Amino acid sequence: MMARNPWIFLGRLWLGLAYAFMFLPLVVLILFSFQKNRFPGFPLQGWTTGWYGKLFSDGTLLDALGHTMIVSPAAATVATVIAFFAAYALNRFHFRGKTALLGLVTLPILIPPLILGVGFLGLLARVHLSGTLFAVFLTHVVLITAPALAIIQLRLAQMPGSLEEAAWDLGATEWQTVCKVVLPFALPGIFGAWLLAFTFSFDEFIIAWFVSGFQPTLPVAIYSVLVAAIDPSLNAIGTIVFAISCAVLIGIELILLPFLVGKPRGDA
Amino acid sequence: MTATSGIDKRLKTPNDSPLKFWFLAPLVLWLGALFLLPLLFLLWIGFWRVENFQAIPDFSLNNYQEIFANFFSGSRYGLALVQSLWVAITTAVFAVAFSYLIALALAFAVPARWQRLALLLAIAPFWSSYVLRLYSWQTILSRNGVINSTLKQIGLSDLRIDVIYTQIATRIGLIHYLAPILVVILYVGILAIDKVLIEAARELGATRWQAFTRVILPLSRFGLLTAGSFAVIVGLGDALSGNLLGGGAGRSIFGKLPTYASMIMSDYSSSTNLPRTSALATILIVVMIAALVVGFIAADRARRRTA
Repeated sequence: MMARNPWIFLGRLWLGLAYAFMFLPLVVLILFSFQKNRFPGFPLQGWTTGWYGKLFSDGTLLDALGHTMIVSPAAATVATVIAFFAAYALNRFHFRGKTALLGLVTLPILIPPLILGVGFLGLLARVHLSGTLFAVFLTHVVLITAPALAIIQLRLAQMPGSLEEAAWDLGATEWQTVCKVVLPFALPGIFGAWLLAFTFSFDEFIIAWFVSGFQPTLPVAIYSVLVAAIDPSLNAIGTIVFAISCAVLIGIELILLPFLVGKPRGDA
Repeated sequence: MTATSGIDKRLKTPNDSPLKFWFLAPLVLWLGALFLLPLLFLLWIGFWRVENFQAIPDFSLNNYQEIFANFFSGSRYGLALVQSLWVAITTAVFAVAFSYLIALALAFAVPARWQRLALLLAIAPFWSSYVLRLYSWQTILSRNGVINSTLKQIGLSDLRIDVIYTQIATRIGLIHYLAPILVVILYVGILAIDKVLIEAARELGATRWQAFTRVILPLSRFGLLTAGSFAVIVGLGDALSGNLLGGGAGRSIFGKLPTYASMIMSDYSSSTNLPRTSALATILIVVMIAALVVGFIAADRARRRTA
């Protein structure tokens, strides 16, 4: 009965088409990073790793990747630390203005990064910080704290209140309780939050475009290559970046997704 | 001694602790100094003036006068705003429809044990770089790109597509970016629908189509509006797809015009006139707040109707 239902068939057909649309750019990117074609298209002109060689000998994009690999982990770490403390306080305490604070935290996600970029530039140029990687770090933390906070809050909401109370009753100070009871419990959430924050920072373009100046992050460097000419080295860096994303993705699947869509249903 | 201090601690309410202050302080300080302050600064710089390529603090309306004088002529900021709204709203409609069908297919056409994997696959492209995905779309859609060269190879040159550097290409890039996020929003919304309601409708003789239009669709309305508002906001604020796929000033039914976000970017990179760029950004904030208010009112009505 079920299998012959035309709606189920249509649904699966749509899903297949949707996957094809979603994965087409990734497949093209990876395929043409290993092809001799100067301009991606058919017929294929044979396999090569030349674009990777060009990428490594040229160095501009790799420098930018290096910049990003400094900024993004640092920003993700600071954002996660801030988010953990705030999530704990928001989870445990009641106080006036809590709703307003929650609204303030969400606002950086609702305001388009384009607008934030202009604002950051205005302020940072005034204090002579614009045009540095440090500026990118400072501003990215603002952007990625909210998602990190949301993930850690989801985890802390699952913590039974009696856990902390037991620790207090046994004589632990509040700080000890946070370090030895709450932190271990929140660890999967913290790890997931870090990965999400890292990904957002890694991929962020427009703010970095405004404030990074002569130390571009990877997306900014890719953009400047792109507006100049078509360069298949971009396929090579794209494939490398995609490999990094896959590693992050596997981490996310293992840690983050159970929070988003509930517990896995039975053992598949 | 430790016992008494333990008792002291128990007598205190858990809500009363110095941690409340110290744990929230970093967040409040960081957001205050590096979020609220830049935003206020942005609003203020819009009133500054530029002399000898230097921005000078002032309270002049010159930037706004200049922008509104150039609203429909010269730089045509107003027409760019119209183009942006048109592209953002149509993109949102297509992106939400596309993603809703994916979310429905995931929830109802995929066996429960495979759903997590299927969802993960659907959102996988989100974790790859946006700029690189746009570059890839550029090579796919361009005149002698992947699609057109494939069509030529198999002898179907007549079907060749010519959408690169139009706002259609801008929309494709945006939909590709938005779909994974919208799928998650809409899928979570569909999961929240009480399955008993659907079963009841079916047992009372409703066809699958009726169960969808009378139960599932009305109960999804809140999720659909949330997803739609989000898509409009992202579409209005995005300059990348418009620049790389739309070619800066891509063609649409309104003519060859850049989107407003593209215009802010190119306006700044060509003039580095930060006060005018700030004024342009302030106008975008106002338009967005208006769009959000409309979205919220609609979503709120939808929630009340279904509650």
